[in-house]
Amino acid sequence: MPSSRILPEFELLLPESMADAVKLLKKHKGDATVMAGGTDVIVSATQGFITPYVISLAKIKGLDYVKFSKSGGLRIGAMATLHKVANTKEVETEYPALYKSAAINGTYQTRNMGTVVGNVLRASPSGDCGCALLALGAKIVFDGPRGKREVSIDDFFIDYKKTDRKVDEIAVEIKVPAPKKGVVSAFSRITRTTLDLSKINAAVCLTMDKGICKSARIAMGAVAPKTIRLIDSENVLKGQKITPSILEALAASVGGQLSPIDDVRSSAEYRLDVSPVLVKRTIEEAIG
Amino acid sequence: MSKYPITLNINDQEYNVYVSGHHTLLQVMRDQLDLTEVKYGCGRGECGACTVLVDDENEPTGRKAVDSCLMLAAMMDGKKITTSRGLGKNGQLNEVQQAFVDESGIQCGFCTPGMVVKSTALLENNPKATEEEIRFGLEGNICRCTGYVKIVDSVKKAQKAINKKK
Repeated sequence: MPSSRILPEFELLLPESMADAVKLLKKHKGDATVMAGGTDVIVSATQGFITPYVISLAKIKGLDYVKFSKSGGLRIGAMATLHKVANTKEVETEYPALYKSAAINGTYQTRNMGTVVGNVLRASPSGDCGCALLALGAKIVFDGPRGKREVSIDDFFIDYKKTDRKVDEIAVEIKVPAPKKGVVSAFSRITRTTLDLSKINAAVCLTMDKGICKSARIAMGAVAPKTIRLIDSENVLKGQKITPSILEALAASVGGQLSPIDDVRSSAEYRLDVSPVLVKRTIEEAIG
Repeated sequence: MSKYPITLNINDQEYNVYVSGHHTLLQVMRDQLDLTEVKYGCGRGECGACTVLVDDENEPTGRKAVDSCLMLAAMMDGKKITTSRGLGKNGQLNEVQQAFVDESGIQCGFCTPGMVVKSTALLENNPKATEEEIRFGLEGNICRCTGYVKIVDSVKKAQKAINKKK
């Protein structure tokens, strides 16, 4: 019987370079899990879900970076913890949606261990960083036997816990576009206590010009099998001044794009009822 | 299964042990090293009973709190770790531990080792923490006895004692 005190056996592999990690993953293809901070992989193991091999990235030096430049944007390495990302000044000032999704994620201890890249790669429909980064239009960089590959986060989430990552690829970095003039963002979520996973979450990223919304990206989590974009709602905002009546029209557009379920954290009925309100409030927060 | 020879420095004492890849730091400390002040609560990073401090040069305070139940021991080779036993020096309690005694922040005592380690990290990171920040900071450590009021009082008292000493 697996328990949360004694984990089921697995072989831990500790490569010291990404090239070695890629080789090991190729060798044990399908039988290996790539682990960054471990807060998700170990919890899965306590429930008996673990592959025979676990490849930890912990011994590979130089993967815990958070780099920002005005022209190049933000780059987050595979081992950069939620804590480190949330404590990077430019993340807080330039990417408020990402900042909040990292700062409120789990607990102080798990933020010190878990990573932003891992949170996205886990591809839980309720994942907070994935929701924020979908709104921000991030890119995920993989390394693998065929070299590096970049994928837009729009094409990354495929279905419930299913992503565009190939079985022999390791996510090494997430890139977020450079902040442009007039771009604002926000993230919010509903939980019972803050350390819970989200009942629902929402993130928006708007390009504003003299009070007019030039473009919009709106993402929601825990309302469908994967984190989704609300394209219909984005279209309601485009080219408009954000007035109370536009926000009402936007709220009315939300429900038709959702397919929530009843689960341990909430009901489909609640999610359908509250989602329009959450999206509206997130927009209000973004535009201040 | 491969065995890894590792060296852990826990509370300024060196331990050389062999561990398997799937052994957690918590399991090694409790079962192999008899450091039973580190408690097993949920095993999934929710309750904080197993909280320890790990030295980290990237942290402004030089160390950070983690859940030892989610840490694999083999990855901790060469790390410096502090448990509640190592918080005070020369057999004395540190300010946080003393305040928990004085303010009755302890009832059954099971959460206490994690609670004092976490509170120590909290006050190191934010010496001027407001009550709200203390309450937010303590999330991730569950107490089923006190209702948290006494624990928050303890942290506030410790904060005063630490700031007075400065």
